[in-house]
Amino acid sequence: MKLLNRAAGAAVPVACALMATPVPAFAEGSAGGPAILIPNMAEFIPALIAFLIIWVVLAKVAWPKVLTMMDERSRRIADSLEEAERTKQKAIDDRHASDELVADARRQAAEIVLAARQDAEHERARIIAAAHTEAEEIISKARANAEDERRSLYAEAAGTIADLSVSVASKIVEKTLDEDGEQRRLIERYIKEVGSLNAD
Amino acid sequence: MDAFSKLPEEINHLVSEFSSMPVVGGLGAGLTQYSVWLLVAAIVFAAIMLVFIKRQTLVPRGVFVNGVEYLIEYVQDDVAKGVVGTEWRRHFPFLATIFLFILVNNFIGLIPGCKPGTGAIGCTAALALVTFIYFVYFGCKKHGVIGYIKSLAPAGVMFPMNVFVWVIEVFSLLLRPITLAIRLFCNMFAGHIVMGSFSIMATLFAEPLLEHFSAMNALGALPSLAWLAILLIIYAVELIVAFVQAYVFTVLAAVYIQIAEAEGH
Repeated sequence: MKLLNRAAGAAVPVACALMATPVPAFAEGSAGGPAILIPNMAEFIPALIAFLIIWVVLAKVAWPKVLTMMDERSRRIADSLEEAERTKQKAIDDRHASDELVADARRQAAEIVLAARQDAEHERARIIAAAHTEAEEIISKARANAEDERRSLYAEAAGTIADLSVSVASKIVEKTLDEDGEQRRLIERYIKEVGSLNAD
Repeated sequence: MDAFSKLPEEINHLVSEFSSMPVVGGLGAGLTQYSVWLLVAAIVFAAIMLVFIKRQTLVPRGVFVNGVEYLIEYVQDDVAKGVVGTEWRRHFPFLATIFLFILVNNFIGLIPGCKPGTGAIGCTAALALVTFIYFVYFGCKKHGVIGYIKSLAPAGVMFPMNVFVWVIEVFSLLLRPITLAIRLFCNMFAGHIVMGSFSIMATLFAEPLLEHFSAMNALGALPSLAWLAILLIIYAVELIVAFVQAYVFTVLAAVYIQIAEAEGH
């Protein structure tokens, strides 16, 4: 049945073709008028053969190659676009990652700077405090030294004044007073009392 | 006025020149001037394709390769994929071949001194017949012979109307190759007759001036400029017609193939 169908399938177009094929007798001697619509065999047969040859040759040789090349091009373009899209996405991701890294680095740098400032502030405060303490120590030492110096100066001045007083008194009374005697001790006690009054 | 009096005779002469004349043998067996130009166009077409295949690369370069690719992609996208549909790849070789074959023939006919192979009914009939056999064959292949014959009548029409519709559809089917052949032939033939007529008119009005230069003859030759301008416009239109007719023939072939392979009307 299938075979019959195939045979008939080939026969139908051929039969139709025979009906449509130009009849040579109609075409003979045509020169104008309606005759121009009657095909001439001298044109029909060469056109038929030429077209069939070109069709078969191109169908076997040219079109498969042309279509393959165009398909390959379409595939490459699609792949390239896909690759470009992937690369673009990766670049965006990398950009985001690098932005995050930069932001993180900036944050860390700010933290480091802040910590350094705080350390420097603490160090400055410590140095200032140490300097204050040292300065106070120096001042107190200086004061103590000055006090000692003052006291020694007082003592020395008191001695000198006592000697001078004894000498003056001796000259006045023309009598040598006992330098290590009672008069001298009185003078020195007097000077001490005067000095203690001054110190107060 | 003398030019107008000569016009009918010249037009008759022109039309007789466009009639098929045997170059080799007779009209029954041989070659006419149209057959010769058709063979020339076939050789040119084959040469174009040969050069194109050799030059075609993954990245097309040059006007020639890009131009041919543009035409091929046009057939592929607008005709094969657009009309035939999913089965386009199977029919692409036929559609692309017939489109470019007609196109090359039409354009060769527009070169002054040449004639279009498609300007003779015998040539267009051959192309129409091949198209007819092609789509009937694929219709029978798809549905089986009986199935294809049955498919000519639209589904859903009650008896006995479906019989009448089937008969009409059979006539319509048999008329398809005839309309294909006549449409292409008439468009090319008529276009060339019109162009020839205007070139004759331009020549007839300028003829006295070319023979003897005088003020009167120069004044009488002025209409030649108008005829020449119209001729150039018609020539430009014919360039479009050459493309459009190749496209129409191919699109109709694709439509007939699609109808023949369609599951049901």
